[in-house]
Amino acid sequence: MKLSYLLKTTAIALALTASAAQAEVKFGALYPFSGQLALLGEESARGLELAVEEINAAGGIQGEQITLVRGDAVDNNQAIGEARRLTSLEGVKAIFGTYSSARSIAASQVTELAGIPYFELGAVAEEVTGRGLKYLFRTNPTADDMAKMIIQMIVEKVGPGIGKEPADLKIAIIHEDSSYGTSVAERQNAYAEEAGLNIVTTQAYPAATVDMSSLVLDLKNREADIVLQTSYQNDSVLFLQQANEAGFKPAAIIGGGGGYSMQPTADAVGHSVIEGVLDVDFTQYSVNTSYTPGLEEFVEAYQKKYGSAPRSGHSLNNYVGAKVILEALGKASDLEPDTIIETVKGIDIEAGVTAAGYGFKFGDDNQNERAEMMGMQWQDGKLVTVFPDSAAMTPIKLGE
Amino acid sequence: MNTFLQVLTNGIMLGSLFAIVAVGLTLIFGIVKVVNFAHGEFLMVGMYLTYVLTTWMGIHPFATVILVAPALFLLGAVTQRFLIQPLMSADDDHIQIFATVGLSTALINLALLVFGADIASTPASGLRTPLQLGPVRLLSGQVAILVASIAVVVVLQLFLSRTQTGRAIRAVAQNRAAAQLMGINVNWIYILTFGIGAACVGVASVLIAPLYPTSSGIGTYFVLTAFVVVVLGGLGSIGGAFAGAMIIGLIDSFAGFYIGSDLREVAVFGVFLLILILKPSGLFSSRLNLSHVSP
Repeated sequence: MKLSYLLKTTAIALALTASAAQAEVKFGALYPFSGQLALLGEESARGLELAVEEINAAGGIQGEQITLVRGDAVDNNQAIGEARRLTSLEGVKAIFGTYSSARSIAASQVTELAGIPYFELGAVAEEVTGRGLKYLFRTNPTADDMAKMIIQMIVEKVGPGIGKEPADLKIAIIHEDSSYGTSVAERQNAYAEEAGLNIVTTQAYPAATVDMSSLVLDLKNREADIVLQTSYQNDSVLFLQQANEAGFKPAAIIGGGGGYSMQPTADAVGHSVIEGVLDVDFTQYSVNTSYTPGLEEFVEAYQKKYGSAPRSGHSLNNYVGAKVILEALGKASDLEPDTIIETVKGIDIEAGVTAAGYGFKFGDDNQNERAEMMGMQWQDGKLVTVFPDSAAMTPIKLGE
Repeated sequence: MNTFLQVLTNGIMLGSLFAIVAVGLTLIFGIVKVVNFAHGEFLMVGMYLTYVLTTWMGIHPFATVILVAPALFLLGAVTQRFLIQPLMSADDDHIQIFATVGLSTALINLALLVFGADIASTPASGLRTPLQLGPVRLLSGQVAILVASIAVVVVLQLFLSRTQTGRAIRAVAQNRAAAQLMGINVNWIYILTFGIGAACVGVASVLIAPLYPTSSGIGTYFVLTAFVVVVLGGLGSIGGAFAGAMIIGLIDSFAGFYIGSDLREVAVFGVFLLILILKPSGLFSSRLNLSHVSP
């Protein structure tokens, strides 16, 4: 018995060494590839794939080629199931994901227990990194960064642009009433208070609303100068249309991500109506590339592999996050979980040298402290980056 | 005062929007006695049809009604004949509900497959032009919805009260067994009624598509309110659905402005519950009858 046991373990050990000799290392790619979120889940995963291809072409990490194993996080339960499969059955060294915050939160609990590192490249909810997990890192900016950037843009650009002191600006915050809109609005209020801004009203509405005329009328009567909206796509379209039709023209409308960054939104609202509307989101493609070196090469590689231009900034942000992590791991001594963590914690990259612009340095909660969003504006039917100055394509246009 | 008039106008416009969606539902719900959870998805299908026809053929959205309404009639009739009718004799009425839930999910995912997750905007064709009427502003497209919803209500009302087929439909609604004994082909009446109800949704989708971007989930935006309107007005009562829609629209608008946009739904459903407690059969229906085999 003992002998056969010994033989078996030796055989397994030999088999393992043999597979290592093939020089291949597995990482998990956990995204919603089917269901409602599939469009942007797939878009996010493409960024990771391009990063891996680039690393492999340059010789892989630690002399080994990377193989990505896909897991389909179609809902929270399946995210958990797929995380289990990837960590135990496939034996991945780390998982990259996930686009959806809820699925990231669910799946990272599995990897935490298994002691496998998890790199979140695209989910924005604060709770992803706010739970004190040891093996979870996040490279992308969060909902808090969105609120911070919006307020910063008001103080530095919008206020001076329309010729008012910060305290004299009448700012209205409207948001869809799920946890996403509510948390961004809370942070906006907090940062606005810090900056001495005057918030005249904060109003929630259900995302599946078919009428916002009362809300528009209320904002009009309050003579709001600036309206901040945190929303999905349909409610962004509805608000912009109904505000226009009610003759409500605030000096600035600033949207938060989601619907405001997408071309179909501009097409639905009408290019003349959305002209001048501001938006804060992940780094997009109309940006000053001296601040985002490598972005043009990324777009080229994307076009070559997938036959179309990138459909949103998700692929870019996933690409940059994955590339930084994988490059760092390439210089590590091995791929044991603790080595990975130590290596990633040592990453120190300044802003202005990655394709997304922002730098990398992980804080105590494993959140990338240097991650930042950017301010953009719809000009002539195109979304162009206008803030911060180092990344701006053109100056911000206000008050016509 | 001007603000008050504007809020009032907004409420009436919102009410007519709910009315045009709910009229078809009250026929299906009140007469065939099927809780059609796919009602919103019928609207979605109609809106996509309008979108495709206007963008491909370059015609005015309203002109597509000659194709969209018959297409939806067919969809409704086919649903009744091949999905609901085989389940009519099932032991439990609730099985039909699950069938319509299944249909709803299938249609949403079919739309995702065909049109993707992006929104599709039907050309506004001048229907989003604001009109200034004295102190209030409204859209020409909204006025069209108001006029059309009144027209649909009047025509249906006349059809049900003045024609032989209409009387047969009401007879089936009152007592299925007795109607059958009087020589009415009940199955055929159900198919016809379901078809007419769906055709009304077709009319609604043609009117709504230029004003709201179409997406696979757009039906869910309307369907809950449509059910509330139908129950509030009294099942199967066409005029009741119209009145119910106006009440909901006005409460929504006034609560949204004077109480706060986050409390709109609280106000709407609060009043809804209150009316149901005081008058359980709805405002314009004398008695509640949800059984297929009437007493």
